[in-house]
Amino acid sequence: MNRVRRLQVDLVVHVEVLAVVVAVAAVALSVPKLHTLDQNAIWHLALFLVAIALGETARLTALTGRDTAPMSTAAALALSLSTIATEGHDPIGSALVIATIAIGMGAGGLLLHTAGDTPRWPDAAARLLGVAVAPLLYRTFDFGGQTLIERLGNWVDNRWAVAVVMVLVGIAAMLVDLTLEAVVSAGRAHAPLLPTIIDEVRSSAALASALITSGALIALAEYAIGLAALPLFLLPLVLTYFAVQRFAGVRETYRQTIASLSSLTDRTGYTVPDHAQRVSRTAVAIGRDLGMGQRELTDLEYAAMLHDLGQVALREPIPAGATVAVSPADQQRIAQDGADIVRTTGVLDSVAQILEAQTTPFRQAREFGQDIPLSSRIIKVANAFDDIAGPSQASGATAMERLHLGLGYEYDPDVVDSLTRVLERRQRAAATGA
Amino acid sequence: MCVAGAVPFALSWFHFGPPRDWLGLVTCVALGIASWLLRETNVGARVQLSFISIITLAAAVIVGPVGAGIVGITATLIQFDRERVVVRVFNVGLFTCMATMTALVYLWAGGVVGAAGVEGPLPLIRHVGIPLMIADVAQCLINAGALAAILRVATGVPMRMQAWKLLSTSGPAYIGYGIIGFLFVVLWIPAHVGWFSAVLVLAPLFVARWAFAQYGDELRAHERTLRALVTAVEIKEPHNQGHSERVARLSEWLAESLGLGHKEIQDIRTAGMLHDIGKVSVPTRLLRGRRALTDDELVLLADHARAGVELVDDIDFVAGSLDGIAHHHERYDGRGYPAGLAGDRIPLAARVVAVADAFDALTSRRSYRAAHGVDDAVRLVEERAGTHLDPDVVEALDRVVARHGWQPTVGSDELVDTSGVAMDHDDPEMSDFFAERSDLRARLRGFVDGQEDQGQRGPHDQTDGDQRHPDEQAGHGHRHVGGRV
Repeated sequence: MNRVRRLQVDLVVHVEVLAVVVAVAAVALSVPKLHTLDQNAIWHLALFLVAIALGETARLTALTGRDTAPMSTAAALALSLSTIATEGHDPIGSALVIATIAIGMGAGGLLLHTAGDTPRWPDAAARLLGVAVAPLLYRTFDFGGQTLIERLGNWVDNRWAVAVVMVLVGIAAMLVDLTLEAVVSAGRAHAPLLPTIIDEVRSSAALASALITSGALIALAEYAIGLAALPLFLLPLVLTYFAVQRFAGVRETYRQTIASLSSLTDRTGYTVPDHAQRVSRTAVAIGRDLGMGQRELTDLEYAAMLHDLGQVALREPIPAGATVAVSPADQQRIAQDGADIVRTTGVLDSVAQILEAQTTPFRQAREFGQDIPLSSRIIKVANAFDDIAGPSQASGATAMERLHLGLGYEYDPDVVDSLTRVLERRQRAAATGA
Repeated sequence: MCVAGAVPFALSWFHFGPPRDWLGLVTCVALGIASWLLRETNVGARVQLSFISIITLAAAVIVGPVGAGIVGITATLIQFDRERVVVRVFNVGLFTCMATMTALVYLWAGGVVGAAGVEGPLPLIRHVGIPLMIADVAQCLINAGALAAILRVATGVPMRMQAWKLLSTSGPAYIGYGIIGFLFVVLWIPAHVGWFSAVLVLAPLFVARWAFAQYGDELRAHERTLRALVTAVEIKEPHNQGHSERVARLSEWLAESLGLGHKEIQDIRTAGMLHDIGKVSVPTRLLRGRRALTDDELVLLADHARAGVELVDDIDFVAGSLDGIAHHHERYDGRGYPAGLAGDRIPLAARVVAVADAFDALTSRRSYRAAHGVDDAVRLVEERAGTHLDPDVVEALDRVVARHGWQPTVGSDELVDTSGVAMDHDDPEMSDFFAERSDLRARLRGFVDGQEDQGQRGPHDQTDGDQRHPDEQAGHGHRHVGGRV
């Protein structure tokens, strides 16, 4: 089980290729069908295409740091569930739906690109594949001789049941979507696959449910009021969008404040500039590698940024701020002072706990069964590495040697192993970058 | 209020008879109760989502005036939290009145209950949409009117002003409620989704509400974390504990009394909170000086205004407060620092923080003097109007102290002893001292200019400043640079 949990695979390219194949196939299959569409159907498709393209330009950064485009996804779901039909009153096929979605998303991405933004294509590819599940399930897949859309056509008296089925289809599509998104972000961040997927589904469930219901809403309302349903019923979602966007905004400024707090000791000459940033980057990379969830990672990031804060209370600075060089008792006092400052906020208690335990040697856990948070063990390793390796990480090899000397006694072997992997990846990235 | 609720409800019942669509009524009632339970009292930056308005609007169409009235009654009556009887009675009355009147206005405007026989987009808009928007406006007005009346009785705020304020803040939200109520109805009746439409329409709204709530939490958390910056400074300067917090509070009151807007008040509050943050760059020995400070040390200490800005420059949240932090030691007569601005050229936030800072310094006990009494301190501040401080803000101080009261900060002997004998930097006499020493101010300005042509420069390398203005070093400046007013 543990090996499955730690499994890391980079499938970013696979997802991208698959998305391109699906899009091209859908377009190729739908071109010969275009002549079966009447004016009305073409208008519908065009409107959905525009909505998807515009929705694509309204991006949100989800809690887990990936890109989403809620309005685009909702419109795409609605199109998949809609009653748009050919001249012969057959519902249009999945190929046409997927082609419309793909072209819309592509156009939106290009719009962003011309506006000077850089769309994240892998994220978009994952979203296209996820949403494509909906038309396949609803319009193509055979459930006992009939597709869902054919069956539901007879349920005029039980429209609420139709709505339930639509929501279920939406849930299936969004699950695929979130899984693929997680695959992409795990590949990008070198995180183990399974925990990333679980974390993604958990932290995006709220927004995803809003998307699913909005998609179903539009499709259902289109039955009653036609095309006007699309702009009207995207409205509640626009409200959701702004709410989530504000949330994301305040999180960002929170991070800035933590950064300022962390630079306090730099200003006073107690610590070397950027030390905290580097430790934080390394610590988060280790945390990802060990499969920590988003919430834990945020706490770890903040704690790593603030790990030297306690030095602000010192009367005389430590040489170069390197706590690895001072006595254990002093280290502990600095850690405690930092934790006390952080605790005064009343909202960062979990960060304060990490700070308190950041100097505790690993043997306390091994020999006396003391419970040291994983985040504290990570910060201890990341901090020691950076103190020894120096700003340019020139003495990285020496630092790893020193860490290995303290392995099991001072430092957690699992964390040091993970650091080794992180450093290897960095070297590889630097080699390919140069 | 009860009469206002009971009369239209009773008349409707008499006229229309009991409601007929029982499934619709039960769903609406359940939603009404749920939305009243989940109402948000205050989500940070004045964002409020009132689901009950959406439900009563939808109920007006789905179950008519009597049904809407029942939704209003049950939603406010069936509650689990304890609130005062008067409050509950008022709420029951208000919501019954609002719900019933909304439905009556809907009918009056040509709306069709149950949207019976209305098919197609245009008829739907004419017979449901437009009447519903009119009913929505009526509900908004009733709500604002009733609340303004109750506040008039309770707090004595003039009713028209209060009503206007309520309308301008909640008006836009009501437009949204009207549209969402319409969507709800469309889905319920013409699209034949029935009660299940509640789930579909409300889900995105619940997510929005959740996100707003998270936003509020995060915002509060952020403000408290900003305070940790201050805590870190106060560790270096124990005798000044609470100074930043007090200056922030007083600045906020002053800004309110000057009639500023919400955003400006918050920015000024934050500026007050962070005005001394730059002291973290000042060596601890200077802050707890055991002897009078030398000129070099004074300059180093006075540079905290600039250093503070540099420290919080990267936080978007405090962008509006940077001016207030940078210029809180400017003087109205232009003899302050670091920029030597005069009169209205000093940003208002800085003029406000300057008054709050001086007043709190005067009412704090020091190792070399007792705390001034409040009246005494107000008089001392008034003497400085027009020279050191902005007369308008000083005038506001009178009002604020009269209204909110103020307690001098005595502090324990232990804390006061940590401060040493050197005069505290915030004491107004210090401002006079700097006003007389143009040489010191020129050196402070040297830091600012040096910033521009050399990029980053720490507060520690002040030797440059010495070489720059050797003439001013010597002449213990009774010369005054900078424009006097």
